[in-house]
Amino acid sequence: MRRLRTATGPAAALALLSLALVACSGGAYEATPIPEPSTAAAPSTASAPTTTTTTTATCAGQSYLASYAPDAQATGPLLTKIKERGRLIAGVSADTLLFGARNPVNGKIEGFDIDRLRAISQAIFGDPDEIEFKVITTAQRIPALQNGSVDIVARTMSITCDRWTQVAFSGQYYEAGQKVLVQREIPQLQNRIQDLAGKKVCAPKGSTSLTKLADFPEVKAVPADTHTGCLVLFQQGQVDAITGDDTVLAGLVAQDPYAKVVGAAFSSEPYGLAMPLKEKGFVQFVNAVLEKEKSDGAWRASYDEWLASALGSAPTPPKAQFGRTR
Amino acid sequence: MTLTTAQAPTPRAARVPGDPDRRTITGRVRHGVAALRHGFSGTPGRLRLLAVAGVLAGLLVGLAAGQAFRVSAHALEAADVNATQVIRVQEITTDLVRADAAATNAFLVGGLEPADQRQIYTDGLAQASEQLAQAARAQPADADALGALNRAITEYSGSVEQARANNRQGLPLGAAYLRVASSTLRTDALPVLDALVKANTGRVESELGAAQWALVWVIAGGLIALGVLIGISLWLARRTHRYLNLPIVLAAAITLVAFVLGGLVLFSAGQTAREVRDGPYAAALAASTARVDAFDAKANESLTLVARGSGSAFETAWQERAAQVEAQISSAALVDNVQTDSREEWDAYAAVHADIRKADDGGDWEGAVALATGERPAGTQATPPQTNANTTFADFDTASAAQLSEASKAATSRLTSPVNGLRFFGWLAVLAGLIAALAAWWGVAARLEEYR
Repeated sequence: MRRLRTATGPAAALALLSLALVACSGGAYEATPIPEPSTAAAPSTASAPTTTTTTTATCAGQSYLASYAPDAQATGPLLTKIKERGRLIAGVSADTLLFGARNPVNGKIEGFDIDRLRAISQAIFGDPDEIEFKVITTAQRIPALQNGSVDIVARTMSITCDRWTQVAFSGQYYEAGQKVLVQREIPQLQNRIQDLAGKKVCAPKGSTSLTKLADFPEVKAVPADTHTGCLVLFQQGQVDAITGDDTVLAGLVAQDPYAKVVGAAFSSEPYGLAMPLKEKGFVQFVNAVLEKEKSDGAWRASYDEWLASALGSAPTPPKAQFGRTR
Repeated sequence: MTLTTAQAPTPRAARVPGDPDRRTITGRVRHGVAALRHGFSGTPGRLRLLAVAGVLAGLLVGLAAGQAFRVSAHALEAADVNATQVIRVQEITTDLVRADAAATNAFLVGGLEPADQRQIYTDGLAQASEQLAQAARAQPADADALGALNRAITEYSGSVEQARANNRQGLPLGAAYLRVASSTLRTDALPVLDALVKANTGRVESELGAAQWALVWVIAGGLIALGVLIGISLWLARRTHRYLNLPIVLAAAITLVAFVLGGLVLFSAGQTAREVRDGPYAAALAASTARVDAFDAKANESLTLVARGSGSAFETAWQERAAQVEAQISSAALVDNVQTDSREEWDAYAAVHADIRKADDGGDWEGAVALATGERPAGTQATPPQTNANTTFADFDTASAAQLSEASKAATSRLTSPVNGLRFFGWLAVLAGLIAALAAWWGVAARLEEYR
């Protein structure tokens, strides 16, 4: 019938429209955005400002090796405070094998540096274990002394002129030298730091090793928080070599059989215990302890225990200089 | 017989002046349009127009209501899927942070890694991987982000294994790898997880909003349709002097019922969506955020002790997380139909943490470690305390997991319970629309008959 036919057109159009409406589904979601990796790392304390290198052997007219004269009866405000507290608070490393490292088996922090602290604790309290260890990074050594959170730092710390303006050192208790650690397979050519031109070399922040690298602009310096941090980068292939004191490098080589230490030492690194700048009495007391150790064989015994297997039998202990007037 | 003359040309159809040639397409279209115009002229034409309008009105209300119900049901289901995804991503975060806390804890004790801590680490990573695969399946838009997360987790577990290998050989290098691992987790994995949570909570919000807006479809469609039908009815009453055209009235009644009923049902569905968003969903979100913050606090507690004197930044982080945990637990407990509360267990753990800090700050690091891990630190003789951070935290873990599970079950069930009813009503509305359309057609057709 005609009236039906005239209505079929619009009806068909309507049916199609309704199907379209019903079939239309909800829109898909936008992909979740991936955030840029943030450069902020886990909370860590601030690093010390880098000090400029001075290679002069004398600063302000005194040898940088000269410390205050040893005096076993010395007193001072810090020493009194330590005695009252009942324990010595020391800034140390917990992962520098041979010098100050946590033994995972028995959980104790032990090493050549730690033995010096135990001798001091024995001298103050009669018990070598009255020490509270605070684990610090290389860059935290000076700030920790300056803000009073530790009494003494025993952490493979080299005595330099610049550092004498911020902290006081004991007489030197060890003589190290800076060397380079490379891959075992590298040919003998690369036994000087100059041979590493264009390569990446790692050293801890705030260490003399890093400052010394500035003398060799042809190598790329890569800082890390600690020496073991450097070893992690080395094992991951992110750096080609590590520079540091030969003693510390010996500890790293002990942990990685594919690394070796090469070349002659290209700087002299005398180690000293660091204390707050104005505490002359405490420094004199500590110097007395160190001198006693060198003379009664304790230094040699400690060297044999920790360093003999890596560096050979004990040499004569380094002679400390005294006579600092201010 | 014989072909004599040429055949006379076949007489063509009588040609009306102006009638276009019907053999071409344009010819046919023009012919159709002319017929249409002829069909809609005069009173019978007007009636035909009204019939079409009535049919359209009926179909409109049916389709509008049907679409509204469909949109509402889909929105509620999608909101549920997205809410589950948010909770799932939070669970992945919790698993990863719990694994990290276990790895750090094990390192703290020294000596051989305690077997139960190793198990917690392995289980945490395994669960995180499983949930990650489920999350990718549940929401394809998250696939890229989850891929980045997978890479970060792989890197993290690699570093932990290296830490473990070095620790096993007694090398301090293990501690450095553990630091690298924790840092990888916090700089690469956790920000991606935060972005996932943000994206999915945004999706939940938008879906819940869509469920409420579906009402507008019904109101608009219903009003227009009703207007058209009443208009038809009035025109008919005026022209045909019969005041009531029963089929049209039926159509209008069906439209009204569909409109009112549909509006009510959708309104209550919208109410449900709002209630769930402010109630069980908010509680589930608060409970899962509390768990993430709590496990992060626990990891920071271990990191403070690992840093051994240089960890003040980690202790600050613990304080911040603890404050957030307390706030989240309180807000989760405020919701009526979530019964379990984890407040007491958290307070017990916080008390042990205060003891740990006291011991560490007072110089007794080994005592602090014993309190934190419940294990005797290697090399010491002290017996570890029964109530320690690990045991109290495990209690909190159980209680908060129960709280979370209750809240998320409540949210899911209340979000998805109206869905089947809405779908049913949707088809019913389309059917009602068809009936109304037919009734309108029938009503006008009856009047049209009188012109024959």
